[in-house]
Parts: sequence; C-alpha cells; structure tokens
Amino acid sequence: MKRYLLQRIGFMLITLFIIVTATFFLMQLLPGTPFTNPEKLTDSQLAILNAKYGLDQPVAIQYIQYIGNLVQGDLGYSFQHEGRTVTSMISDRIGPSAFIGLQALVIGAIIGLVLGIVSALKHNSLLDYGSVTLAVLGMSIPSFVFAALLQYYVGVKLEWLPVALWEGYSSTLLPSIALSVTVTATVARFIRSEMLEVIGQDYIITARAKGLKENQVIVKHVIRNALIPVVTMLGPLAVSIMTGTLVIEKIFAVPGLGEQFTLSILVLDYSVIMGITIFYSALFIFVVFVVDIIYSFLDPRINYKGESA
Amino acid sequence: MERKRKTQIFMILIAFVLILSGCNFNSSESSNEESAAEGEAGQVLNISTTADIPTLDSTKAHDGIAFTVLNNVNEGLYRQDENHEPIEALVTDHTENEDKSVHTFTLRDSNWSNGEPVTAQDFEYAWKRVMKDASPYNFMFVTAGIKNAEAIMNEEMDAEELGVKAIDEKTLEVTLEAANPLFQSLMTFPTFLPQNQKFVEEQGDQYALEAENILFNGPFTLVDWTHEQGWKYEKNEDYWDADTVKLDAVNAYVVKDPAAGVNLYETNKVDRIVLSSEAVDQNKDDENFDTILEPEVIFLRFNHNHPVLGNKNIRQAVNMAIDKASLTDVILKNGSTALNGIVPKGFFKSPTGEDFRDLNGDFNTGTVEEAQKLWETGLKETGATDVTVSINIADSEDHKKVAEYIQAQLEDNLPGFKLDIKAVPFAQRLEIEKAVEYDLSLSSWGPDYSDPMTYLDMWLEGGSANRMDYKNAELEELVASARTETDLEKRYQMLLDIEKILLEEDAAIVPLYQEGAAVLMRSKIKNLLVHPTGASFSYKWVTIEE
Amino acid sequence: MTKNIPHFPPHQDLQAQNQYAYDEIPSDLFVKAPLDQRKSEEIGTPSVSFWKEAFQRLIKNKGAMISLVMLVLLIALALIGPSLNEFSYREQNLAHSNMPPKVEGLEWLGFNGQNSAGVDQYAERDVQINYWFGTDEFGRDLWTRVWKGTQISLFIALVAAFLDLVIGVIYGGISSFYGGRIDNVMQRIIEILMGIPNLIVIILFILVLEPGITSIILAMVITGWVGMARVVRGQVLQLKGQEFVLASRTLGASNPRLISKHLLPNVMGPIIVTVMFTIPTAIFFEAFLSFIGLGLQAPLASLGVLIEDGYKSMRYFPYKLIFPALVISIIMISFNLLGDGLRDALDPKMRK
Repeated sequence: MKRYLLQRIGFMLITLFIIVTATFFLMQLLPGTPFTNPEKLTDSQLAILNAKYGLDQPVAIQYIQYIGNLVQGDLGYSFQHEGRTVTSMISDRIGPSAFIGLQALVIGAIIGLVLGIVSALKHNSLLDYGSVTLAVLGMSIPSFVFAALLQYYVGVKLEWLPVALWEGYSSTLLPSIALSVTVTATVARFIRSEMLEVIGQDYIITARAKGLKENQVIVKHVIRNALIPVVTMLGPLAVSIMTGTLVIEKIFAVPGLGEQFTLSILVLDYSVIMGITIFYSALFIFVVFVVDIIYSFLDPRINYKGESA
Repeated sequence: MERKRKTQIFMILIAFVLILSGCNFNSSESSNEESAAEGEAGQVLNISTTADIPTLDSTKAHDGIAFTVLNNVNEGLYRQDENHEPIEALVTDHTENEDKSVHTFTLRDSNWSNGEPVTAQDFEYAWKRVMKDASPYNFMFVTAGIKNAEAIMNEEMDAEELGVKAIDEKTLEVTLEAANPLFQSLMTFPTFLPQNQKFVEEQGDQYALEAENILFNGPFTLVDWTHEQGWKYEKNEDYWDADTVKLDAVNAYVVKDPAAGVNLYETNKVDRIVLSSEAVDQNKDDENFDTILEPEVIFLRFNHNHPVLGNKNIRQAVNMAIDKASLTDVILKNGSTALNGIVPKGFFKSPTGEDFRDLNGDFNTGTVEEAQKLWETGLKETGATDVTVSINIADSEDHKKVAEYIQAQLEDNLPGFKLDIKAVPFAQRLEIEKAVEYDLSLSSWGPDYSDPMTYLDMWLEGGSANRMDYKNAELEELVASARTETDLEKRYQMLLDIEKILLEEDAAIVPLYQEGAAVLMRSKIKNLLVHPTGASFSYKWVTIEE
Repeated sequence: MTKNIPHFPPHQDLQAQNQYAYDEIPSDLFVKAPLDQRKSEEIGTPSVSFWKEAFQRLIKNKGAMISLVMLVLLIALALIGPSLNEFSYREQNLAHSNMPPKVEGLEWLGFNGQNSAGVDQYAERDVQINYWFGTDEFGRDLWTRVWKGTQISLFIALVAAFLDLVIGVIYGGISSFYGGRIDNVMQRIIEILMGIPNLIVIILFILVLEPGITSIILAMVITGWVGMARVVRGQVLQLKGQEFVLASRTLGASNPRLISKHLLPNVMGPIIVTVMFTIPTAIFFEAFLSFIGLGLQAPLASLGVLIEDGYKSMRYFPYKLIFPALVISIIMISFNLLGDGLRDALDPKMRK
C-alpha cells in the first residue's frame, strides 16, 4: 500500500510538472502584450513593464524562475490587476466556487440517490420511466443551456430567486441547481443500474431466504452495496462541476474562480490563466487520487499491492 | 474494524465540506448585512459598475472605474463642476507669473483620513512618483506642459527635475514649459492627486489594493471593498466641504452582465444602469430612459501598405459603402451617432463658440452608387479584380456586431469585396495594430484632454497611435505649428485643416460613429454629474429627493 | 443461447434414467426417445450473425429507435433546412431586425409574430414575409441560421469524432498489440493526458490557434482520442489471449492480417458505442467554447454561437435562445439514447 501511494504521488508530481511546462510554453505562443490599456503605453513604458515582470529575459530563464517560484507557492503577479498576486486572486475567488460546487454536489447526490433508488425498486413502473427520462435529459442538455433557461424562467419570468449577483444565500441556489443537474442525472443512472445488478445477486436471495424483512434487505444489502461504486463517480463528477462552473458562474455573475478564468482568457491575462490552469489541474489530479484511495478503503476486494483484483 | 474506518472517512469528508461551506457563509452573511444597511433611511445612492477596481493608486490608475472612485474619495487642486469646468478644490489662491509659465497654489487646511494634514509635499511626491515609475498616464504631464516632463519621459532627465516644488507646507509651485490654456482643466485629472508619502511607503506594493490600504481626503471615504463584488462609500465628515455633501453613502455593485443590471434596476437594487442595445427597445419609453453622447470615436484603420487599400478611391468607396446611420440606430440603439469626421460632435467649441463638427461638416459621404463608381476606379488603378481582406477587431460585444454589419455592407455593396472577421482579445488587437499586421482594423479612441488635438496628433508618422503607416508631410507641419500657435483662432483653423487633410485629402480612415450610452436612472437622483473626460462621475453634489 | 445445452453420451443417459426410476412407475412405461446423433448438434433457432442479432435488439429499443428517427430528421433538416426559404444565413436586412417567429397556422403555439410586449411586429412594421423562427438583430432569418448552425455543429462533431477514432484505434491498437515496454510507455503517456482536465487543454489550444472550425476540431482531438485508445486497448488485450487468435497465429497469420481479420472486427462494437458518445461530447464542447466567447468567427454560426447570441437577449427575444437550445438538446438526447441502445445491443455485458 505504501509503495503504491508513493508511486501514485510521484506520478501526480510528474503529471503536474508536465502540465506546468506545457502551459508555460503555450502561453509563450500567445500573441499580444498582457498589460491593461496598452493603447496609450509608449515603448519605453512597455520596456519598464516587461522588465518588471521579467518578460525581457530569455524564455528559458523565465521558465526556470517560474518553476522556482511555483515550488514556493508563488504564481506571480496579475498583468491586468497591478500589484495583485495570482495566489490572492485565486484565494479570493475559490470560496464562492467551492460553495456552489459542493452545494451542487450535495443537491445532486441527494436527488440522484432518491431518483435512482426509487426507480430501481419500482423497476419498469411509471416512476422508473419518469426518473430515467429525467436522467437522460439531465445528462444530455448542456448545463449552460439549462442554466440560461432556468435563469429566464425562474429568475426573470417567475422572479422566485435572484437572477444574478452574489448576495446572501438565495443567490447561491440557482447556480447550484444548474450545476447539480449533471450530478443528479449521473448518480441516478448509476445507482439505478447498480441496484438492479445487486438485486439479482445471490446474496440478496440468500438474505431474503433467511427471512429478513424486505426493508432490511433493501437498506442493509441492496443500497449499501450499490453505494460503494458510486464513490468512483466522484472524480468525474467533481470534474464536471469544475468545468460547469466556468459557464455557470459567468451566467449568474458568481464571483468565483471559473468566472475569473473566463475573464482572464478574454483579456489574455497570462499569469492568471496559467495560475488557474495549474490550480485546476492540481485539484483535478488530487481529487482523482483521493477518490481512488477512498475506494480502496471501501471495497475490500481491491488491493494495491499488486495488480488490482 | 472495517466499519470504523469507513465511518472515519465519512466523518472527515463531512468535516471538510462543513469547513469549506463554513468559511463561505461568513462572506455571504456580511453581504447580507450590507444589503440590510441599504434599507436604512438617509441619502443613499446605489449604482452599478461594470468591473472591479484594478488599483486605487492614483499614480498608476488607468481606467475609468478607478478614476471615478479616486475622484470621489480624494481631492486634488481642482475638480470638475457641472459644466465640466475646473473649480477650486484644495486651492484657495492661485497666482501666475507674467508669461503664465509659473503657477503658485496656496492650499487650504485639510486632513487625510489618518488625521495628517494634506501638504504641498504630498503633491510633489505623487507627481514625481508618476514620472519615476513611468506610469501609464505620465503623458498627462507632457500634455499639461509641466517642465521637463517630456525629457523625463524620454529618459533624458531624472524624475526629480520635474517642474513641481513644495515651497512650504501650504504652497505649491508648478513650472510649465510655456503657457498652457488647458492647464487648469487638466488639474482635475486623477493622475494629479496628492499622496501621503509616509503612508504609501509603509504600505509598499500593497498600497491602494484594499480599502484599508489607502488614505482619503475627498468628499467620501471607501469603507468596504469586496473584490469583484462591489464597494461602499460613506460621507467623509472631515472633508473640508462636508457641508455641501448631502449623500450619506454610495453603494457600488459590480454587474458585468447588462441583463442582470436591468433586473437589479427593476428590483430597486440600483438606481442607475447602462442598457445594452437589446434592452433599449423595451425601455426606451420609460420616463427614466436617457441617452448620453460620449466623446469616444469608433473608426476603421486601413493598412496603408496594402496594395489595394492603399488606394484612396478604394478607401473612399469603403467609407461610402457603409450606412452608418442604420448601424447606430438599428444595431447599437444606445444613443451613439454616425460620425463623418474624426473629432466628435458636441464637445469641442471653437474660440467663437461653434462646434468643431459643424465647422468642418461631413467628409466622404455619398450613395452606394458613388461608392461603387469609386470602387471600380480604384480597382482599375490597382489592377485588382477582387479583394479579400480581413478586419482585426477586439472581441467585445459591440465591436463584434459592428464588424458583422460592416462585413455584410461591404460585401453586398462593393462587388468582389470579401471581408473576414478576426476577433481577438483587446490587448491582442492593439498588438496587431501596432505592428500594422492587419488589413482593416476596428479601433476606438477616447480623448485624453478637452481639445480636438487629442484626435489629430495621433496621425503623425511614427507616432504610437498612428498604427497604419500613414504619412502626410503637410499634416506633420500643421500639427507642429498648431502646437506652438498662441493665437487661438488661428490655431483652431489649423486643427480644422488637419482633419481636412486626414479625411478629405487622404480618406485615411473611416470614421464610423461616436459612442453613446443608453441609461435608466431614477428621477429621484439629482445632480449626478457625468463627465466626458477624466473621472466619469462626481457624487459630491448628488441629492436624493423622495 | 444454444451452446449451454448439455449433451451426454447415450450410455450415461441410460444409466441416469435407470438410477432415478422409481418402483411406482415401472420402467417399461418409458419409451426411449429415438436418439438422433445429428439432432444433438442442431441449432434450435436459425443461425443469426452477431450484427444481425444486435440489430434486432436495437430495433426493439424504443428510445433508441425514436432517437434514430429524430437524428435522421434533424440531419435532413440541417442539410435542406437552409434552402427551404429564400434567405441566406448571412444576408442582413435591417428593416426586418428582431422579428418574432411567425408561422401561418401555428399562431396558437406562439408563432404569432408578437414580441415580448405582445405587439404584432409583422403588422406594425408591415412585413409580408413570415420568418418561421424570427430574425436576429441584423434581420437575418433564424430558421436558416439555426439549420446552418446545426450543420456546422454536426460537421465539427463528426470530424472530431472521426479523428478521435482514427488516432484512438491506432494508438490503442499498437499499444495493446505489441504490449511489453511499448505498451508501458504508451500507457504512461495516456495516464498523464488523463490527468489533465481536458476542457482546460482545449481552451488553451484554442487561445493559441487561429480561431475557426479547424482549430476547434484540433483542440478537441488533442485530448479526445484518449478515451477511444483506452477502449481499444482494453478490448484488444482481452481478445489477444483468446484461442482463435492463438490458432490464427499458429497457422502463420501475419500481424496485419491478425489485426484486420480478427481483432478489429471483434472490437467494432465497443468502438461504435464510444463514437456514439464522442459525438455529443464534441457538440457540447463546441457549444461550450462558443458560449465563453472562443467560438467561430462571424457570419458563420454554430449552435453554440446562436445560443450565446440568444442568451444575451433572452429577456427581450427569448425565441433567439429557445430554438437553438431546443435543437442542441434534442441532438444530445438522441445521440445519448442511441448510444445507450447500441451499447445494450452490441454488448449486453457492458451495460451499466
């Protein structure tokens, strides 16, 4: 186990290093100066700015410096917001993103579980068809299309919830709901098919044969065993939420990281684009890693000593 | 054993979720308080703004939003009144020497928000700081004609040699290269604000990045600044003219999406919003609807090295083939107006009180048929049968729309014309422009100061705003003589002639329209001043009449 | 279905019968069925090929069949829709800007030419032609633009999926077929690529490349093929160990022959299913990119561009958002359902 962990961590670092390197050199290919209002910047001012950000150095030196700073957790300064560090911009904005992300995960997981369990238990009933249809819709309709429609009907037309702005709890609801749709659908589908599979297993028949009450069979055996593989969905779900925030935050004007990312892309704020890319990638890699570890704890059939069973 | 481990992991997970959401609830709670405070009685103005403040350091600020905030939380020598004319702010007495090149200002007694007095040294420090750091707006010192500013900018002199000197605590002496009629009005510009040296140096590179890291001496103080969400002003009781200020507070909300802005206006969250063109139709009959004409001009640059676009007939044809009025009235709808010159309408009066635009009239107007005739001639002259070019634009909403419109107009009206749109981020558009690596470029230009020259000296050969390899010796000469001409009427005639050379003689660019803004503002808001140059808004005189 | 019937040798059969013969029933009451050696080898149902069987299963799947019909319909509309009226996708007519949708006979469905304030724009502006999906601010016909956009979105998705397929099959095939160190290295590369959130990679590449259809496709393919490569590798690894491959190899089949005759046909199922899911993902990514402002250049419009345009003015002209949103949703749903159906049909074991 220890060896496996070390190996995994080593791999994570290599992946991260490659991402950093690739991003760095991709950024070099981008055209344009990254400074604000260069409309009226003179060449000498530009030279001073370039020197300040170290852009007058050869690329190789810039690269080594960047890696050096990165190791110390320093992502450099924003080109657009003078004096603000990328780290502080990320930490300023991670809060709202994490909040709507986690809330979406919770909403999606709960609704998804209920839908999935109900439709598995009432297999081939109207309820089942209904929730399967919902799940297909949720998986298929792009989240930003759903978000736009939600904003239009719930926010603008019905005026039930705030259309945008980040003020108070009620404004977190629409973005979270919009984000949770994919989660709901994925979880519902997954739980349903897992449960249907488990219900057919011998040990369920055994449990019934032992005279356990149906409720107990369902709760103790079916649901519990169907839940374990759901953990594996956490990784992909976290990713879908992360990418979802990019547009959802734009739509609902949530001052989160995704909004900052799309904004920085539109103004080509190199250092911020790089910083957030690295942050997202690191987070992604970390989530996948954690999910794997949790899964190995939950499912005794998996061991990481050698080949997985 | 197994079960214990599982529960442990779940507990950790739950704790993690709680911690994350916990930190967040605090912030949403604090914004709840903010919105509750707004319901309190008193004179409160709620406004929306399109972006966060990049920096509040007056020597480094370079955007309209920061300029507005600075104008309302700080006080310089002069500030703009309702006619955008300079009125005395910190100045109680202003004397000039004979040739008007040395100005001596006596400052009134006033304090920074940390209790220290505002002194002449604060001005000297801040101004020299602008030059030392080669800040974005250092050219304003050259425009103001302050002694040695140009030499310092060209790195021929040290910033310490700038023509500004604190004689004593309350006396500031400013030396100019020569008399400058614009000097006073330029002093209202936020780049000329004072700064408290001790405080600035204490804060280091964090100066003015948070509400706590800046000192105030203006009508308001900034009490709360949440990045990307908004900020709040409160009346500054220590302001020297605090009796004039009627507002108790101003709440500014960052609203990037214009549609969200409309909603906030309708739900009474904000009192004034700028409408996108989509929203105009629905709101144009509202009694609070208004349009404002702005001094920013939008025009097309040609690459004058281009084999076909280098031809004057072709350029004129392009000019005439575009129906500019439909563009502003049907597509933009925000009060912008078609422009057939480079100097905009309504801002620049001649010494005899006539508008620049009225004096020079329209250039290169004509029907589509005339355009096609010129086009034919141009094609013959250049030996081309068809032209495929691209247009370089910034990927902002309005510019994309304008480009799509121009594309259809030119392709439909000029046979053989094919236009590709290349939308790139703003900074990149400028980079491409500066390198003259485009065929056509959709550009905009806002004035730096209140004189037509700000639109006319851009076209000098090698100037940083030329960006299209355009040259005309006659124009160069006229600009040079206009700069030193002291007879105002003669000078104005020269300015008119420069525009004629640019457009009548050379058709060097295609002026498209003059920017406008469609706004909704509640009628209870009185005396909100909107300035065309420098800081956009003054809240000092605002009153709310319920 | 037929292979599980056990057939014992006749004498065992007899013995078994004798063993279980009870006293109450005399054994002579039993008449031995005539044992036909040929019949025991006979297959009960007519022989069905794998593909035929899969097809039959697919046809029984209602969702998949409806999806198929919808897709055929949408593709047909995407191809012929733009030419069903006299407008072109780029022709502007400012006098007819922002006309609401109007269809003769469908007034009750909202196609009544009234704007959000309830004013009949056709009467007010004296417009004689009906715009079925309305017009945008330039007066361009949205019916034409929506179907043209569908065409472009589908084109992008199909090309991207095809490139994913080619690269994925080659990469996965080589990696698994040769195995050993090659496989090891290639797998590590895939693992690293999997470690990067693909949307971020796509965005970065779009920024670097010149905007346009080609760049969008390229950016999507850069990470898109990984999924396919993994599927192919997994399948080939499984097949490689099976007897028929071994047999073929023993008979002296060359590698190319092995790959093309034995491995490829057997991995076709999973590949088709993967492609079916790649297409909607590609459509989604394209729309996503357009939505955050990294899409196509005007006057070309994909569904994503139209949705973005519509979103901006949805308060006042909701129809601009609804039509493209509807089309993209139907396409996504249909592809997903069809993909599900195919998966169930081609490989019931894959069902999850």
